[in-house]
Amino acid sequence: MEEITKIKKEIDLDRRGFIKKVLSGAIGGSLLLVMPATAREIAEQIPGMKEQTDLFIADKKFAFVVDITGCIGCGSCCIADKNEYQVPDGHYRTWVERYIIDDHDEVYVDSPNGGLDGYTEPRDDIKNPIRDTFFAPKLCNMCENPSCVQVCPVGATFRTEDGFILVDDKRCVGCSYCVQACPYSVRFINPVKHTAEKCTWCYHRVRQGMLPACVNVCPVHARKFGDLNDKSSEVYKLLHEPHVISVLKPDMGNKPSLHYLGLRREVI
Amino acid sequence: MQQNFKSSYNVHVVRILLTFVGMIIVGSLLRSLLLPSEFGDYGHYRPGAVTEEANREMRNKTNDSCLDCHYFVKKIHLKGVHEVVSCEVCHGAYSDHVKDGKVIGEMPVYRGEEIKSLCLRCHNKIIRARPPESIKMIAMPEHLEEKNVRTDHVCNQCHHVHAPYKWIKEAREMMGLPEKWEGGSSWKK
Amino acid sequence: MHEILATASGALGYVFPNDLHVHWSLMIVLYPYITGIVAGAFIVSSLYHVFHIKALKPLAKFSLLFAFAFLACATLPLMMHLGQPGRAMSMFLTPNPSSAMAGFGYIYTAYAFVLALEIFFIYRVHLVKRRQETTGWQHAMYTVFSMASDNLSERSLKLDRKIISFLAAIGIPMACVLHGYVGFIFGGVKANPLWATPLMPVIFLLSACVSGIAGIIVAYFLLRKIAGKSIDMDCVRTSIKFLWGFFIVDFTFEMLEIFSHGYMATAHWHTLHELLWGPLFNSYWVWQVMILSVIPFLLLGYVSIRKVSDSLLRIIAPVASVMILLQVLLMRWNVVIGGQLMSKSQRGSVDFQPHWFEKEGIFLSMVIMVLPIIILYVMGKVFPFWHDDNQSEV
Repeated sequence: MEEITKIKKEIDLDRRGFIKKVLSGAIGGSLLLVMPATAREIAEQIPGMKEQTDLFIADKKFAFVVDITGCIGCGSCCIADKNEYQVPDGHYRTWVERYIIDDHDEVYVDSPNGGLDGYTEPRDDIKNPIRDTFFAPKLCNMCENPSCVQVCPVGATFRTEDGFILVDDKRCVGCSYCVQACPYSVRFINPVKHTAEKCTWCYHRVRQGMLPACVNVCPVHARKFGDLNDKSSEVYKLLHEPHVISVLKPDMGNKPSLHYLGLRREVI
Repeated sequence: MQQNFKSSYNVHVVRILLTFVGMIIVGSLLRSLLLPSEFGDYGHYRPGAVTEEANREMRNKTNDSCLDCHYFVKKIHLKGVHEVVSCEVCHGAYSDHVKDGKVIGEMPVYRGEEIKSLCLRCHNKIIRARPPESIKMIAMPEHLEEKNVRTDHVCNQCHHVHAPYKWIKEAREMMGLPEKWEGGSSWKK
Repeated sequence: MHEILATASGALGYVFPNDLHVHWSLMIVLYPYITGIVAGAFIVSSLYHVFHIKALKPLAKFSLLFAFAFLACATLPLMMHLGQPGRAMSMFLTPNPSSAMAGFGYIYTAYAFVLALEIFFIYRVHLVKRRQETTGWQHAMYTVFSMASDNLSERSLKLDRKIISFLAAIGIPMACVLHGYVGFIFGGVKANPLWATPLMPVIFLLSACVSGIAGIIVAYFLLRKIAGKSIDMDCVRTSIKFLWGFFIVDFTFEMLEIFSHGYMATAHWHTLHELLWGPLFNSYWVWQVMILSVIPFLLLGYVSIRKVSDSLLRIIAPVASVMILLQVLLMRWNVVIGGQLMSKSQRGSVDFQPHWFEKEGIFLSMVIMVLPIIILYVMGKVFPFWHDDNQSEV
């Protein structure tokens, strides 16, 4: 503790210089030794989840809302997702698309490396003045009528009673039929495990009362996750008050639980 | 073709049918043996898969988990506009760093030009798709020219990466120009 | 990024990041091709056994063996394709009732039984006789094949004939189910505008009949030539007429499907148009439609309507049949691969080039296509193909 007081003092004396030293690693190493690195219980982001020990989550109906008008395309969600699941390169559980619409209604869409590396370059192939630009994050739609579950020949992908669509990687035969059937292309075959994989809305995190990794890191709160049975939740309010809100490919009849706030017709 | 046969006229058909019945019995026995336990109790799937997925390792934690130890960063990070930025997006997943209360790995810390490209990932004005109400955007090197600094400056020479307005506000206070800033003791704009 | 290069060789427009992979490649092209040949060959046999087209008698037995040899290999491409082939038995263990794919295990097995039984009953006299003539391991083998029965009485043979008619009769709807169902595996994928059409099972079924008949004609010419035996031109003429008949309906439906899509011009047509006049233009319009459909269509029509000489028919029949076989293979390619070239983003497509030596590559495809021929050769040692092969008939 004595050392900590010393460090505190040092911080107060010369904050800027001290941080610089920490960043350059001069003090950082010694700090690691003194800081108590105990795994403290982190506070629940979704209240009451830790008490739930049944096979399924009771009394909650989760929904996901993506705010197209808020997304800045930083790709934090993609980084968090790749960190969380160690997704092999070239495959995406979530990704961010960039839309640019010119005044001739020509739509330009791209998503280099799924937005994982961020958007650092402008598009230079747009000839006309730009009328609208936005980003559209994509992830599993958690359909009420999921095509992937319908077509899985062996029951390796399924919809739980609490509304999550999961993949049983111990039973998946890797036939790719679900990959073909998903209208949103959120599925892929993991090249290491040779089984189907997709976004689960971070089921394991939710079960421990934590928000999905992408929701947790979004700096502009463009990804929102919550319980529709809780009338005070943001997602409930968004879906029950007059907002410009829709789902992707509604004509597919899959009834997604993923909603888009401020969705433009150009987003497919 | 009048001769005596050892077998009866339909024995081959009977034998085929018996083989068939035998295969069905063996097949159903094998099926009941090989069927995963509890399969189909809640739907056409193995309930164990739900538990397995629920018990997956949580690799990302929250900023609170990081700042619990890194309290000197906490003092800065939570006071600035970048309090909404996730630690793990720049520095990697918590579980690569700490396991069972012990530090197991060093996390990357960006420097110099790396910091600049990290900043421009969000603050680059030439990426026009960004809603201006969500984020402050600048163009490079116009921003540096505008601020009358050398154009080879990297962002963190003026902006603290964890609280971008910290040093700027402190400098303004020192020079007696605090009125442009709101929010009292915080370094939020 | 290597993974991407291995499947899609290039992308045009905006393709969803996960759509850069062509998940169903050559093996899934072969799978409907092989089951189609099976179903079609069975139809040839049924034309004789059920519909009593007497002219097809020389092909009646052979077509069953031909069908069986291909059926024996039908699961091979599927096993090669599966990411976890060790778990393939789950299809039998826990078939998902709502999955269009789950029924395959049971439908395939049931059909294999019907086919094996029909071959058994048709060849029973031969098997019983061979059992008596042979000794040692051959005797043991024929004992198993003849179900250890030696009864060839009139009463017993009458029972056999009844069972053969029954099996041939239920075999027709089963062959239709087997292949119509394969078409439905594709036709039921609503997310894919090229596949999602109720016509898909019909087109698959008709092209199956076409490929089966064409395959039988080619094999008949080839094997008879190799064995130095005469070719029954009456039989060829009849098969050619059936081939033409089935092909007329098949080709009409294929064109009707595209025409209806184009006429209704829904939002999907835009995507389909981009595909058919883009990456698929050569393999669809030039090869499948113009060269491999129109030319054999005219050739078959000519030899069916006009009284052509045997020597001319000897050239046209195998040539047209080979072209039809290629047409059906290309049709499978254009459906299976073509359907995956369009991204579900509706804004772009990928390119696909199969490689020679990969898990689902060209070399292995060729091995899988040659394998039925080897199986057929081995089967020929036990089950003589032809009626003039010095054996008694049922």
